[in-house]
Amino acid sequence: MHDSILTYAKSRYLWISLILLVGAIVAYVLHDPGGPPNGGTWLGYTLGTISALLIVWLMFFGIRKRQYLHNVGTLRGWLSAHIFLGSTLILLVLLHAGFQLGWNIHTFTYVLMLIVIFSGFFGLFAYLRYPSMMTRNRESATRDAMLDEVAEIDQNALSLADGIDPKIHAVVLRSIENTKLGGGVWTQLRAHDGSDLALESLHKALADREKKTESKTAEMPTMFAMVDFLAERATDKQGDAMRKLIDLISRKKSLATKVARDIQFQAMMEIWLYFHVPVSFALLAALIAHIVSSFFYW
Amino acid sequence: MRWLIRRVLKKGKGAVSYEEDVHYGDVLTIGRAADQAIFLPDLRAALNHARVTLLSNGQYKVESLIIAGIRVNGDITYATTVSAGAIVEIGNTRLTLLAAPQDFDGGVEISTLDKTEQQAEKEKRAKPTRLVQTSLSKRVPAWILFTLILVFALALPMIGHFVPGFGELLRHTPLPSTMSWNPGQIDASHQFFGADCEKCHQKAFLTVRDNACLTCHANTPAHADPAKFNLPALGNAECRTCHQDHNGARGLIRTDQRLCSDCHINLKARTQNASTFEDVGDFGKSHPEFKIDLPGWDAANKFAPQRVTFKADLKENSGLKFNHFKHLKPDGLEAPKGHRTLDCKSCHVPDAGGAKMRPVNFETMCHDCHTLGFDVLAPDREVPHGKVSEVIYMLNEYYARVGLEGGYADAKSPAIVQERRRPGSPPLSQQQQQEALAWARERALQSTESLFTGKACTTCHKVTAPRSAGDTWNVAPVRVSGVWYTDAKFTHAKHVTVKCEDCHAARESKEAADLLIPGIDNCKACHAGAYAKDKVATTCISCHDYHQSANLKMGKL
Repeated sequence: MHDSILTYAKSRYLWISLILLVGAIVAYVLHDPGGPPNGGTWLGYTLGTISALLIVWLMFFGIRKRQYLHNVGTLRGWLSAHIFLGSTLILLVLLHAGFQLGWNIHTFTYVLMLIVIFSGFFGLFAYLRYPSMMTRNRESATRDAMLDEVAEIDQNALSLADGIDPKIHAVVLRSIENTKLGGGVWTQLRAHDGSDLALESLHKALADREKKTESKTAEMPTMFAMVDFLAERATDKQGDAMRKLIDLISRKKSLATKVARDIQFQAMMEIWLYFHVPVSFALLAALIAHIVSSFFYW
Repeated sequence: MRWLIRRVLKKGKGAVSYEEDVHYGDVLTIGRAADQAIFLPDLRAALNHARVTLLSNGQYKVESLIIAGIRVNGDITYATTVSAGAIVEIGNTRLTLLAAPQDFDGGVEISTLDKTEQQAEKEKRAKPTRLVQTSLSKRVPAWILFTLILVFALALPMIGHFVPGFGELLRHTPLPSTMSWNPGQIDASHQFFGADCEKCHQKAFLTVRDNACLTCHANTPAHADPAKFNLPALGNAECRTCHQDHNGARGLIRTDQRLCSDCHINLKARTQNASTFEDVGDFGKSHPEFKIDLPGWDAANKFAPQRVTFKADLKENSGLKFNHFKHLKPDGLEAPKGHRTLDCKSCHVPDAGGAKMRPVNFETMCHDCHTLGFDVLAPDREVPHGKVSEVIYMLNEYYARVGLEGGYADAKSPAIVQERRRPGSPPLSQQQQQEALAWARERALQSTESLFTGKACTTCHKVTAPRSAGDTWNVAPVRVSGVWYTDAKFTHAKHVTVKCEDCHAARESKEAADLLIPGIDNCKACHAGAYAKDKVATTCISCHDYHQSANLKMGKL
């Protein structure tokens, strides 16, 4: 079976984390500090030191993942450990503090840590969910191939539209301008491409044309209708071209949607890191402030 | 109007040549239709794509004639006014609007993009498809947050510590001051100076030193004499070892059993027999029998209690004769003022603090029945209770007055004493006076002896007669209520929920010597050690103080 980050090496780091947690809980229960449990008892200092070292080590993952020549463990092992050991901090730090929370730098540090951990949980969710969705969405094409095809369709559509009507040509031109693949952060995350509009206009134009043809045939006297019918045959070619154009634009639409979704999935897999990493550094600063202030007023 | 239309023709190897043309008219039309002033053979151009109008002030108005709009200076627009130098892009064609050349009113340069230029243009216009390509950054916000937090959460309060005025100012702003470092609520007793961190934390990066505590707590009793017991060697005896603040409003005082039992186990050996205390651990399991202070007096009749280990059959000497059984008869007593039923509180009333009992008061508690009359001829007169000398003075003075005033209806007394003095009677002669006073002395002596040996004093007190001529009657000192366990802080007020009889077997006691104070077994009926499950969990601090020395103060150690 495929080995996910969570089940890496038979969930080795899950077990290590559970052992760490159970050990900390047992020590906490057995520990009798004489007064209320707090960070200043020997167990408090011990758990605090473990937690602080863990945080620093977890942040080191950002460096480790860039070191391709690093040969202490695999990157997947590091990530697995990063996730599980990081999660233990939620409880480990509470035990360190003896569940004392307040309106101070110390609890602020804890809150920052929770934000980092839960943004990490979103990242884990994204890594488990989006890669397979991306594969399914792409249908074994690549994003570049799809983009090339879109460009090709644009060319074909323009030449088709040119043969129909300047108005249709303008619609297609506008559709090309409006098709936004990629863009700002929000556009990437929303997976919105502007290719709907052209299709609507084209459908409307086609419907109008057919209506006009019908009404013409109904209203006109037989002689004229006959002439008109002959003339229509010429324009009927345009109708065909128009339908073909609609097919093309539809194909483009579906491609554009796919590309947009591809961009969206990738953005979803990356966006949380733009939160996770800066807040981690905020946490590091708060951790320094927490430790220094604790010993400043020892 | 004359327009200059200059076409740029690119030749191989970067060589360029120009082809110039003139157009007349206000408007320059651009498109793929044949009638356009600027004809663009490109599918991406509409038949009538756009038009440029020359404005009077040398500027150009560029208008799009199709719904897709037109790209002017890189932005899609429908109509805009631009000055010379503006670039209009349609498909592969780039139109640059020129400042009016000589002899012309307006000008435009038309160039076709070659493949590399097209590619560059495409890349320029390509929208980011990865977040990395956007303006989002990890490094910049990381640095900003890291710096901001270090400045506001650490540096600012720290400056506030070193510059007190600034620290004070900070506390009055929403900015974080040293108070933002406060890890928990300060004990209620310390809150009145809680904002002055430096009161306790006198030096940065040093633990709170005893000196800081002793600023206020110099008069707190010490635990043990450091001359005899080296407390730091026996266990850490710094204030902060036991008293850690910031643990809530009631978090400063440790009440756990280990606080004491850590040291008081094996204390004799560890102090090289300096300590006479027996080992103590859990109250329920390893607390020795109590040491009781039995009332006693030294040779000078000074109260000097004797400390002995409590035993069930221990006798005490209160100096009093008293039969609890007789006084506590359930059906009551016939008293001079009627039937009375006595109970414990008739005589034993807690003092104001509620800890111990007030001394028994003769006047309010005994006197109703036990009067101190001395003469049947003067039934209303009584000697005072308390001091022997006062009794003798009073009797002497009383009988002297009676003898001199006369009218004492006792047939055995001399006539001068019996005789009633009438108004106008002549004063007593010196001989008569001496006779009367001699009788008075004799009578006072009789009464004194009768009181001290007969029905009055000896009912309750042990009395010894004068042994020699200069001696006087001696009543043994009395101690009925007091503190029996001086090193514990028992309080009756906390035990009002139990009956007196539950601890004091007074109803059956017929002798004053019966010790009616209970020992440890009685306490253990309800109390057990800190980890008791079925009894009142009681730690050392429930009955004992750590700071208990009677004469040593923390500030004087």
